[in-house]
Amino acid sequence: MDTLFTLATLAAAVRLAIPVAVAALGELVTERAGVLNLGLEGTMLFGALAGYLATLASGTPWLGLGGGLAAGAACGAVIALLVVVIRADQIVTGLAFTLFAVSATTYLFEQSYTIGQAPPRIPSLSMGPLVAIVLVVLAGVWFVLARTTAGLVLGATGEAPEAVDALGYRVPRVRTLATVAGSALAGLAGAMLVCGPLGLFVQNVTAGRGWVALALVVFARWRPGRAVAGALLFGLCDAAQLRLQGTATEIPYEVFLALPYVVTLLALVVRARRSGTPAALAVPFVRGGT
Amino acid sequence: MTMTRDPATVPAPDGVLGRVLRGPDSRAASVAVPVGAVLAALVVGGVLMAVEGVAPLSAYGEVVLGVFGRTRGLIDTAVMATPLILLGLGVAVAYRARVFTIGAEGQYIAGALAGTAWATVGPPLPGLLLLVSGLAVAVLTGAAWSGVAAWMLARFGASVVITSLLLNYVAAAALAWAVRVGIRDPGSFTPQSRPLGAAALPDIPGTGVHLGFLVALLAVPALAAVLRRTRFGFRVEVLGAHPEVLAATEARPARTRLAVLALAGAFAGLAGFVEVAGVTERMTPAFATGYGFTAIIVALLGRLRPVGVLVAALLLAGLTVGFDEAERVFIIPSTTVGVIQALIVVFFVAGDALSRRPGRRRR
Repeated sequence: MDTLFTLATLAAAVRLAIPVAVAALGELVTERAGVLNLGLEGTMLFGALAGYLATLASGTPWLGLGGGLAAGAACGAVIALLVVVIRADQIVTGLAFTLFAVSATTYLFEQSYTIGQAPPRIPSLSMGPLVAIVLVVLAGVWFVLARTTAGLVLGATGEAPEAVDALGYRVPRVRTLATVAGSALAGLAGAMLVCGPLGLFVQNVTAGRGWVALALVVFARWRPGRAVAGALLFGLCDAAQLRLQGTATEIPYEVFLALPYVVTLLALVVRARRSGTPAALAVPFVRGGT
Repeated sequence: MTMTRDPATVPAPDGVLGRVLRGPDSRAASVAVPVGAVLAALVVGGVLMAVEGVAPLSAYGEVVLGVFGRTRGLIDTAVMATPLILLGLGVAVAYRARVFTIGAEGQYIAGALAGTAWATVGPPLPGLLLLVSGLAVAVLTGAAWSGVAAWMLARFGASVVITSLLLNYVAAAALAWAVRVGIRDPGSFTPQSRPLGAAALPDIPGTGVHLGFLVALLAVPALAAVLRRTRFGFRVEVLGAHPEVLAATEARPARTRLAVLALAGAFAGLAGFVEVAGVTERMTPAFATGYGFTAIIVALLGRLRPVGVLVAALLLAGLTVGFDEAERVFIIPSTTVGVIQALIVVFFVAGDALSRRPGRRRR
């Protein structure tokens, strides 16, 4: 155990935390406006694929990040169309979207290279810029939500949409924008996963990180800083698991495989009291009531 | 489905479930939307294949022949549909009660794992007794696994969506450990459990289909009868449509939710052990193949009705089996069928929401 938390493990923890942190910040924005986006995992996958393909085509991972952002925004537009405009059930829609994304990204990825050859690797960004992006996104989300009128309207839309409506704001528009913005961040998170040290897209590359991010938003009580802290905790468990996988120790590495999820479950138990949940989360808004 | 909001304050259901639960408002639409979604997905799949340079109609012809043109196709379809039917029934009951669990995959793994552990390293019992007790262990473990999410909802108000999903990953880690260390076959180089041996499910006489398919077929009318005729079934309907009504009666919504989730877990655990005992015969790290997620498509497409689940499970299984066969004849990417199945559910969700737009409703 004494060799467990080396500098390399800590670096790995940060690396693993990055995509989860950005995705959680995106979901946080969306949920604050009252939309529960269970399509987060799928949006990350599309963002990852777009990031990979854009980097492959352009040769610069920075354009890959832009591709991820754009793909995420597009996913957000589709999800918003379904849940905000035609008011499909948010839970069912998000699940359906993620199931769709898993198949669709695999299909598109397989079309992108010749069968029999290894898919090409892409040039990747180092940790420095990636960490900087996380900090910028964190500061941006915090600033907008806590210090701007737009953020106030967004938060109010998730708490009391009727009041926001009475003040003359358009609830569907606010929710659509929040969903698109949050999904763009999720797409960016996916792109940061593949354009980072990984440098490769593989089938289902996000491996449930979007779901972890969703849980982290609850864990963080809808606060940006805590969401990033939660992501770091997740990264630490993940890194410990990877570190232990090759070595024979008393503790089976599967414990660390399960640990991030168990910790999140425990966190839900500890903090699940009325704790900043947007009051109108996942409740469709109909003007004048139904 | 937030964490802390009292579920009794959730307004009358909207969306997929609302339509189902509001009763037979339009039988035509309730069939037309899923059928339309399937057709639309097949059309898009056809376009994809055309782009690939495969003639869609001949490819689909081969898909149909792959299922109905040979005995093996029918057998494979029945075998693949078996876990989907059982898992889908469990999901359908939960969703009818507006309890959104996505933990079927974890419950399926947990049930299969416990049943296998019981049958391979548990007490030495004679064949049939081993099989039956293994099934019981799997059912109870699945129910308990799902019960954790139910307990966390009742006790702490934690969202079932999140908790049931997190439990999937815990189950996956348990599977990895169990086949590597816990119940590993000591004579094997790769991590896997011992074979079930005497606890394996026999075939239905005269067919190549294991008995689990019969179990799944019988579960359909059984569940339909429970939902239609019993007090529990009535409570499920009321909980789904008007939880505040249930809260006003002597029945406690929390208890009904617990029962619903336990039942869903029991079905998933049963599906898991049936799959081991009927198909894989031992647990490997590759046991979890995502049936628990496909089951959500099955339940939705089947309109959360037992018979609908049966039809949807057979349809999705048939598509997979048929495409497997068509891939031998045509050069079709193996992921095409996955895209078509996923498109079915996306089109279904959109079509369902569109078919109940306020503009079309009398106010």
